[in-house]
Amino acid sequence: MPLVDPVTMSSSAIVKGAVAQSTSTTKSTPGSQATESSTTTAGSSSSLATLRPVQIKQTPAAQTIRHALPAALTALYLFRFDALVTNPVPVMLNALPVVVAFQMTYALLCLPAAGEPASKSNRKPRPGEKKKGGDIGSSTIITALLASVLTSIVTPFLYFAMVLFGAPFLTHGSHTFLCAAHLALLTLFPLFYVHGVDSAAWAAVGGFRAPLDETFGGLVGGLVGAWLGAVPIPLDWDREWQRWPVTILCGAYGGHLLGRVLGGTLFWGKRF
Amino acid sequence: MSFRRNGSLSSTLLLIAANVLIPVAIVIFATGFFPYKPLLPGLAEYEPLDGYGEPPEAPFDKLVFMVVDALRSDFVYTTNSGFKFTQSLIRHGAAIPFTAHATSPTVTMPRLKAITTGSVPSFLDVVLNIDEGDESSSLASQDTWLAQMKAKGTGKLVMYGDDTWLKLFPGTFDRADGTTSFFVADFTEVDHNVTRNIPGELRNDDWDTMILHYLGLDHIGHKGGPRSPHMVPKQREMDGIVSQIYKAIETQDHLKSTLFVVCGDHGMNDAGNHGASSPGETSPALLFISPKLKGLQKNQDSPLPDAEDFQFYSTVEQSDLAPTLAALLGFPVPKNNLGVLIPEFLSIWPKKADQAYLLHQNARQIQTVISAASGTKTFDGALPEESCASPTSDYEQLACEWQGPSSILMSARVGDDMDSQWALPVVTVMPNLPTQHSDPHPIQLTIFQWLRKAQELMSGMASNYDMSRLILGQVTALLAVIFSLSAAIKTVSPTRSLTPLLVISIAYSIMMFASSYVEEEQHFWYLATSTWFGYLTLRGFKHTNTTFPAHLLLTAFPVLASLRLLRAWNQTGQKHAGTPDIVKLFIEPHPHFLWLLVGLTYFWTHRQLVYYSNGPIPVPINYPVMTGLVLAAFTFKAAFTLEDAPELVVEFVKSSLLDFTLIARARAVFVGLGLVAMAAMGFILWEMGTGVRKRSPKKVPAEAITTLQHLYTILALTQSRTANIPLFLIFNLLYWFLSGEIDAPDGTGLSTVELGISSLLLQYASFFAMGGSNAISSVDLSNAYNGVSGFNVILVGVLTYVGNWAGPVWWAFGTVVLLGKIWRRDQRQKRLGSGNNGKRGSDEKEEKAEAKQMLEGGQISPFKTYVVVTTLFTAFSVAAVMAACTILRTHLFVWTVFSPKYLYCVAWSLGQHLVVNVGLSGLLFWLGSL
Repeated sequence: MPLVDPVTMSSSAIVKGAVAQSTSTTKSTPGSQATESSTTTAGSSSSLATLRPVQIKQTPAAQTIRHALPAALTALYLFRFDALVTNPVPVMLNALPVVVAFQMTYALLCLPAAGEPASKSNRKPRPGEKKKGGDIGSSTIITALLASVLTSIVTPFLYFAMVLFGAPFLTHGSHTFLCAAHLALLTLFPLFYVHGVDSAAWAAVGGFRAPLDETFGGLVGGLVGAWLGAVPIPLDWDREWQRWPVTILCGAYGGHLLGRVLGGTLFWGKRF
Repeated sequence: MSFRRNGSLSSTLLLIAANVLIPVAIVIFATGFFPYKPLLPGLAEYEPLDGYGEPPEAPFDKLVFMVVDALRSDFVYTTNSGFKFTQSLIRHGAAIPFTAHATSPTVTMPRLKAITTGSVPSFLDVVLNIDEGDESSSLASQDTWLAQMKAKGTGKLVMYGDDTWLKLFPGTFDRADGTTSFFVADFTEVDHNVTRNIPGELRNDDWDTMILHYLGLDHIGHKGGPRSPHMVPKQREMDGIVSQIYKAIETQDHLKSTLFVVCGDHGMNDAGNHGASSPGETSPALLFISPKLKGLQKNQDSPLPDAEDFQFYSTVEQSDLAPTLAALLGFPVPKNNLGVLIPEFLSIWPKKADQAYLLHQNARQIQTVISAASGTKTFDGALPEESCASPTSDYEQLACEWQGPSSILMSARVGDDMDSQWALPVVTVMPNLPTQHSDPHPIQLTIFQWLRKAQELMSGMASNYDMSRLILGQVTALLAVIFSLSAAIKTVSPTRSLTPLLVISIAYSIMMFASSYVEEEQHFWYLATSTWFGYLTLRGFKHTNTTFPAHLLLTAFPVLASLRLLRAWNQTGQKHAGTPDIVKLFIEPHPHFLWLLVGLTYFWTHRQLVYYSNGPIPVPINYPVMTGLVLAAFTFKAAFTLEDAPELVVEFVKSSLLDFTLIARARAVFVGLGLVAMAAMGFILWEMGTGVRKRSPKKVPAEAITTLQHLYTILALTQSRTANIPLFLIFNLLYWFLSGEIDAPDGTGLSTVELGISSLLLQYASFFAMGGSNAISSVDLSNAYNGVSGFNVILVGVLTYVGNWAGPVWWAFGTVVLLGKIWRRDQRQKRLGSGNNGKRGSDEKEEKAEAKQMLEGGQISPFKTYVVVTTLFTAFSVAAVMAACTILRTHLFVWTVFSPKYLYCVAWSLGQHLVVNVGLSGLLFWLGSL
């Protein structure tokens, strides 16, 4: 039953720890998404105030994918639900590459990569510019790969946070770990992709001061959903789906998708 | 300014009103929810039945009634049982086996009441079971088969075993030797004290009733569960006693008409506990044994394979024992009986008229109970046809259904040829016939069905609620909610800081309506506490000057890991009772580790005591006194554990013990604690009186109340189970974190409301972490008699409360010390603030006026805010539990889940909230603020 706070803490902790060693390339690119408007030389305080919500690319492909993928994830989840209930570990394991592919596609096509000049994603595409807007350069692929590396580094910490919030420790190790992996992939991967290891942006995310968008909404929704997923477990209905970690995963997916859609539409740009 | 003062006054009044309404609501609701059940006084006599003549002759004249505590049905009947001889008796027909359904609460005293009176004891008996000194739980004035046997005057009554019988039946037994169920680690001595009396009594012929009550098997269950390695040897030992008695009945002439009954009073669940209503707990074995019973029914198979639901052979109600014994031993059915004569025994009487007589007596007796309960005389004459066409009440329905059997029974006469009438088909034969019964005639079936129906209805009637009182109590509780809410809004600013508290209160209130959330309440508190402390630690990063990973590692991780340890320490609740937890996996197998942690806890407490008492008490006195006190407490704990759980005591600890009795040790600890506490309080008052202050003015009382806090820690350790003592180390760690949060710079420190919420969460979480739950069976009585030799209601009550609420009370007192800290912090800040103002304002008068304003209107005592927080939650919880009990009063689990929850809610709101959080904490806060 992970809660928002420790999770984001651990994730940004990784960011800080990892910044020096691995991903300085991303960092060195001036003008992150967060500091788009004015300050490329931003100190952390000014960038905090100006962290902008992530805009989905305006290309038709991106706009289609952003709606199609949540639907596809929902369909995948519903399709595999019965199998998940009977056999959680292999099902979660097998679904992992599919979800990775989905999230990669989503990030590459829809989200502005960390370090990418923000104006590009913001500009209205003209008829002749389609190709340019949906461009997947080698740098964005590297960003996506780095984001997935970061996500996998964060997963054990997420697992640990789940244990601290009451997940079984001595049993169900692979259950909880895979659940943490899914949660990290859903909620943290897009954030790594758009923010990289920008500590100011992560401080805003961790402190719940970031504006709502698809990525941040998805994070909040996923974590709250996973947390609420613990609620039905003690009920005496004796259903198979009450077994660990089906409800947690269910809550994480449901909450993430809801938060992602709402964050991208209705509450876009709003802050807590 | 005057407005603010009025606001403060009115909020205080509202707060007081809410705290007065809470107990009022509880009392009103309780009187409606647990009504006093009217009992028919006097001894039953045979009802005159026209034309039936004398009661039929009884086949037995002596009774040996052997209760084996917690003898679950499968312990006797299945393949891996130790009862080999008993099973051979079943095969030969000399023992007639049953599974006797025991209704909840499955604890000894209410079960013995059901067995002896045949009635269904009211829920209040559970409370009285704990409060053993209460006279009203005595059955001396009630009609029981013991009273009937005594009235028959054919012999003496003797009793060996559990002294609950002596408490229930004072002055009834001519010879008795009671054993107490004090140390559950005692598997052999309690039973040996019973067994040694048997050979002599079997040679005596002056008694007609011998009661034996063995406790060892129950102790093994509590200690090691139903699969304990001691279980089968104990079963063999019990089997040997059955064999010994049976052989005496077979061979000795004066015993030849002896009925030998072997039964359990209740069963046990998979963890070895009992009290609730799981199949294991409600299915004890029941056997009627005598050579005379051979040939009564076709021989039964034995042993049987395991059954998940613990139902073997026929299932009867435990209360059925009373009318069955009455028939078999020849006395009238006890007056308040709701049991039904067990049909298997009917064929003992060859004459149909005798059978009719017995059934008729049983039915007439139950009708008397129904008439008394319904206040009408529905059974006296024939009912008009039209009222039976559409009966207005369950009673009338029963009365109408009685018409058919009644006419046949009334027309049966002595000497008549009954058989033709017995075989008459009855028009109103009901469905779902009890097929297991040994194929009686249709009319008998009809009567049995009528009796069962009456039994079912009347068992439910043990709880007819007084709706107007329930509603009045509910309304009062809702008023308390409204008052406490408005007091909270007036007191706390900004009001939004109440949001977490409201979320907790409302979520908790909703939860009270689901039986599984009541049973598994601990999960709510664990999750809420982890979430809240996750939030606090995360927020704490703002004012640390470490890096984020360092903050995580040094603050968030220890705090959350402590809470995780707390959660896993004792597995509690119903669903997973008995599954592995830290105590079972790591503590019990490693006693050295346990004693290391226990020693550390005592050492730490000693250090705190010495450190904080330096101010009030001079060092040369302080150090030896505190050391002596802690040593006395520690050696008491070691000596107690040696008796209570010898497997946990390591050689080193054992060898350090001197030869004192436990009572003397406990008294030494309590007297020492009392003296030092009085000294500390006296010191504060003396300081105030003389005005002598060697050190900074506010520090001395603050240190003195810290001393009191740690003195309580010693008491809490004394009253806690040994395996729970290391939990206090974890508490200390969390306490340290909270204390540090108060002093955070830049006004980001913990506010009073936040401390109140933290305290509330930790009070509940610590209760469950120490093994508490909402089940009656989890009340821990092992430390209730520390230092008490007789029985003293108040002392035992206080010790039981501290034994079960040790953690919550610890947190309440800890909170007071932290509140004092907040108070001093706020005053310091205010002084600083007014100082700054003074510098800015040029006019000296203005400055003075401002300072005065501050003093008059400004600060609300943090203690008041704290009481607001606990009152708000308590009012919500009381109202919600009442609403759940009212709405779900016909729920299947009302007596097993919701009523126990109500009792726990009473303990939390009267004991923990009013006495501890308001009363004692208020006293402590006042002492600290002098």
